[in-house]
Amino acid sequence: MSAGADTEGAADGRRLIFAMGGGGFTMEPSNPLLDDFVLGLARAKVPRILFLPTASGDPTAQINAFQARFGGHACVPEHLSLFHLREARRSLQDTVAQQDIIYVGGGSMRNLLAVWGAHGLDQMLVRAWRQGTVLVGLSAGAMCWFEGGITRSSGPPEPFAGLGLLAGSLTVHADGEPERLPVWLAAVRSGELPGGWAVDDGVGLLFGGGRLRRVVSSRPGAGAQRVDAIAGELVRKRLEPELLGSEDSPRALDEDVQELRRVQRLRRDILGGGNRVGER
Amino acid sequence: MRPPTPQILALGGGGFSMERDGSVLDDYVLSLSGAARPRVCFLPTASGDADHYVVRFYRRFSAECEASHVSLFRRDQGTGGVEEDVASHLLSQDVIYVGGGNVVSMLGVWRAHGLDEVLHRAWQQGIVLCGPSAGSLCWFSEALSAFHGPPQRVRGLGLLPYSNCVHYDAEPQRREEYHRFVGDGMRAGFAADDGAALHFCGRRLLRVVSSRPQAQAYRVQARGHGVVEIPLEVAYLGAGVDLAAPCASEVAA
Repeated sequence: MSAGADTEGAADGRRLIFAMGGGGFTMEPSNPLLDDFVLGLARAKVPRILFLPTASGDPTAQINAFQARFGGHACVPEHLSLFHLREARRSLQDTVAQQDIIYVGGGSMRNLLAVWGAHGLDQMLVRAWRQGTVLVGLSAGAMCWFEGGITRSSGPPEPFAGLGLLAGSLTVHADGEPERLPVWLAAVRSGELPGGWAVDDGVGLLFGGGRLRRVVSSRPGAGAQRVDAIAGELVRKRLEPELLGSEDSPRALDEDVQELRRVQRLRRDILGGGNRVGER
Repeated sequence: MRPPTPQILALGGGGFSMERDGSVLDDYVLSLSGAARPRVCFLPTASGDADHYVVRFYRRFSAECEASHVSLFRRDQGTGGVEEDVASHLLSQDVIYVGGGNVVSMLGVWRAHGLDEVLHRAWQQGIVLCGPSAGSLCWFSEALSAFHGPPQRVRGLGLLPYSNCVHYDAEPQRREEYHRFVGDGMRAGFAADDGAALHFCGRRLLRVVSSRPQAQAYRVQARGHGVVEIPLEVAYLGAGVDLAAPCASEVAA
C-alpha cells in the first residue's frame, strides 16, 4: 500500500466532522442516540468534550442540558462561554487545544462566525481539527464547517458563507423548518451556493478526510438528500440513514471492532455500488 | 427639543444591572435625553442577549420610558424584541443603553449586523449612548478587556479617541495592567470605578458623576518613562448637587 493510500485510509478516523440537521441534547432531550454516537467518534476511552453554545449567546439552559446529557457518561464535559464572565483565567487556545470532541450548538450562524472571528477562535478550531479533534455540531453549528449554509440570523432565510472545511453547502432542519429548503435549492440552482446536502432533524452526516462516510439517524423516517445543479437543473438524490440504536451502541464496542465495522461499511459502500453515500 | 449634541455616559460599572433600587446613574442618563418620556432601547449583545438581563431592563425602565430591546441572537423567534428594521428603530431613540458582558464578542456581532455604523450615526444625531463595562469600553478607540486569560487590548468603535478601563477598583490587577498597557503605547485614557460614570459631550469629558460616595475616576497617561494617574473630580449624585449645566454650550471641540 502506498503512503498516499495509507493516509487516505487513516483519514477515516481522523479529521472527522459530524454535522447534524438538528438533534442531540438541545433538541432531543429524551433521545441520546446521536450524542452516544458522537462520544463513540473519539479515540480516547474517556473523551474530553467541549461544548460551544456561542450561536445562541451561551444560554444557561443549553449549558445545563449539555451537562445533564454528558455528565453521567465516560467523558470529561466542559463548556466554553464567549459572553459570560466566570471561568476567565484560562486562555481560549489552551481550552480548545486539549479536547477530543468540540460540540457546537445551534442558533445564529452569522453571530457564531462573527464572534469566533472576533476572538480568533475559528483558526484555533481548524488547528484542533487538523490535530485530530472531532468537530461536531447541529444547525448553525453544522453549517459553519461547510462552504455555505442557509441562515435565519436576520429573520428570513438567506445563504451565508461558512468556514469551508468541507466542500459543498449544507441546509438543516429540512423537515422541521421547511422554509429554508426552497431558499437553499434556489441558491444551489443559481450557483450562489455549491451543491450539497439537505438534512432533516435527527439526521447526522459523518465526514472523514473531507468525504461523507456515514449517514445516521436517531428517528425512523428522517432522511437527507444530496443536491447538485447540473446544467442549471437540480439533481436530487435521497440518502437513507442508518437508524441508530437498532444494533449495539457503538460506544459499547471495542475500538478495533468499531474500526473493523467502519472498514466493512466503507468497502460495502465503495464495492457494492450502493448509492447510500455514493455522492461523489 | 433635543440639542444635536453627541453624548456618551460611560459607566465603570453600575446602573440597573449592578445596583438595586433604581440606580441614580440611570436617572442621570434619562435626564440627558431631555425627553419627558424618553424612548430607551436596550442592546444586551455583550451578554448573548441573556433573558434575565432583558427582564431587569424592562423592570427598571418600562414605567417611566418607552422601553424596547434589540436581540441579535433571537431575531427570528418573536421574543418581543425589535425584529424588522433595527437601524430605523435605533435611530428613533432618545437613549441607547448597552449592557455589560464580553466586549470582543459584542463588537464582532455588531459589525456582522452593521450596528457599528448605525451607532455612529445615532451618536452624531444626539441620541444618548450609555452603558456599563462592555457598554463603556465599546465607545473608545482602545480598551482593556480581561475575559479569557491575560488582558488584551481591544479596538473599540472609536467615537471617543481615548483608551478606557472599567471596574477599576473591583479587580486590583486591572489598574496594574492598564498602567502597563498605557506605558507600552496604548493611548491615554480614562479609568472608572464601579459606580462612577464618565459623561462626554462630543469628544470632551464634561464631568464625572457617581452613585457611590467613594467611587473614583482617573485620567491615565504616559509621562516620561512612567504612567501618571490623575484623579478626576466626581459629583456624587446622592448629595443633591446641581448638575443643570447643559451639554450643548460646552461642546465646541
